[in-house]
Amino acid sequence: MTTSTYTVIGMACGHCADAVTEELERVPGVTAVRVDVEADRVSVTSDQELDLAHVRAAVEEAGYELTAPRA
Amino acid sequence: MRPSSDSDPKEFITAFFTSFSEDLLRDDEDPASIVDRYHTTDIIEIADGHRMDRDKLIAHTRPVRKNRPSSRMEVHEAVADGDRIAARYTLHVQQREKEFAMEVYFFGQFTDDGRMRRAHMLTRTVPAGGKGDQATALSNQGAPA
Repeated sequence: MTTSTYTVIGMACGHCADAVTEELERVPGVTAVRVDVEADRVSVTSDQELDLAHVRAAVEEAGYELTAPRA
Repeated sequence: MRPSSDSDPKEFITAFFTSFSEDLLRDDEDPASIVDRYHTTDIIEIADGHRMDRDKLIAHTRPVRKNRPSSRMEVHEAVADGDRIAARYTLHVQQREKEFAMEVYFFGQFTDDGRMRRAHMLTRTVPAGGKGDQATALSNQGAPA
């Protein structure tokens, strides 16, 4: 089980958080998503190593922008 | 356009949000210019406890443009006091093959030329396609036939 944290730009409210969560939960291996709208931060827990391209595609599908994984 | 002086607050708030959305979706105009046309540069919006300043508002135009929601605003009531407006409305939204509705309790402050300076909003999701006006429905139930 691993948790990675990403910076996602453009989220403004709970509805934005729901949209990002919904798309990320479709990525194979993802077991949990936690969104901090004010910090532009999304934590994704998965049971396998995630491909950054898949995470980015999911975030962009929701309409938002993933800038970089956070340390 | 000062909300209390020359326009009905219901019409003002409807025109404000409708026009802002239409401008964002019309073409590729710089989103910062559009945001600044409708908001002061020191705008602070707090929606469900989430604080948005000008930069966050500009960033939020990206998902709006990507998802291109079509929305209809149904203002149930609005009152103005000087430069402030309080309103209760339902936003009916259709985007990305999904339909949802949000009931919004809004308190805002505007400049003389109609730009938003401050806003506090509480929202809750209501069934899509409904009237979204529970308070009016309840009061009508008790009204004489």
